[in-house]
Amino acid sequence: MTTDTTKILSDWVNEYADGLLSWAVHKVSDTELAKDLVQDTFLAASEKLDGFRGDSSPKTWLYSILNFKIIDHYRAKVKQPVKLGNQSFSSFFTGDGEWIQQKRPKDWHEEEQHLLDNSDFQEVLKKCMDALPEKWSACVKLKYLLKKTGDEVCQELDITPTNFWQIIHRAKLNLRDCIETNWFNN
Amino acid sequence: MHILFLSCLKATELIEKKLNFKLSAKERIQLKAHKMMCSACSNYEKQSVLIEKSLESQEEITEYKLDLEQFKTSLIEKLNEQPK
Repeated sequence: MTTDTTKILSDWVNEYADGLLSWAVHKVSDTELAKDLVQDTFLAASEKLDGFRGDSSPKTWLYSILNFKIIDHYRAKVKQPVKLGNQSFSSFFTGDGEWIQQKRPKDWHEEEQHLLDNSDFQEVLKKCMDALPEKWSACVKLKYLLKKTGDEVCQELDITPTNFWQIIHRAKLNLRDCIETNWFNN
Repeated sequence: MHILFLSCLKATELIEKKLNFKLSAKERIQLKAHKMMCSACSNYEKQSVLIEKSLESQEEITEYKLDLEQFKTSLIEKLNEQPK
């Protein structure tokens, strides 16, 4: 790299790395991974610097590269095959598709707002999310990360709507059950 | 199976479809009829919506401790190692 390029990039690192990193940590909930993504962002920026003509601010440009890296990370996860079989359904439903007696969702007897405001509840939810296969949690999270509709997420991930809501269905069955077990039974 | 009757497996699947996409008129009626008779699936729907809301509002709880200065320095070093 030329000295000029080095100077520009070093300035950008000093000015924007902080913000980019917290953004990435927020989106992927993993500090080491977030560091890697931010590093990849700057490496990509250094390669493409010639193409950056200042149509947008460096900040906007760097965030758009980082967002692309984040989506790419989730896209790769969703593409990983997960063995489903009937296993996940048979732990909740009988062969006729009725709830197994002890798996029937119970009334939680709690006000919604109460739970939403409760940080312990949020913590349980987070743990339950982490326990899901990555492909499932990626599908559940993407909608909120991308702030997009189901149809748009499917386009991004290149999967069919049927495939998408079936993954969400399995994910939710497990999440709900995990919360009921860890929050309401304790 | 009667046109109105859904299994709980199918009903919960339709609940997730409804949250992300649109149901057909027939599916809407089937689901409504099912929920009137099935408290477990009605609970499921309430809780599924709650989970969605909760994920949407989730403030990042992760506390991340890291040496930002060191990260920046090593980042700049890496960038300098790039081929000229």
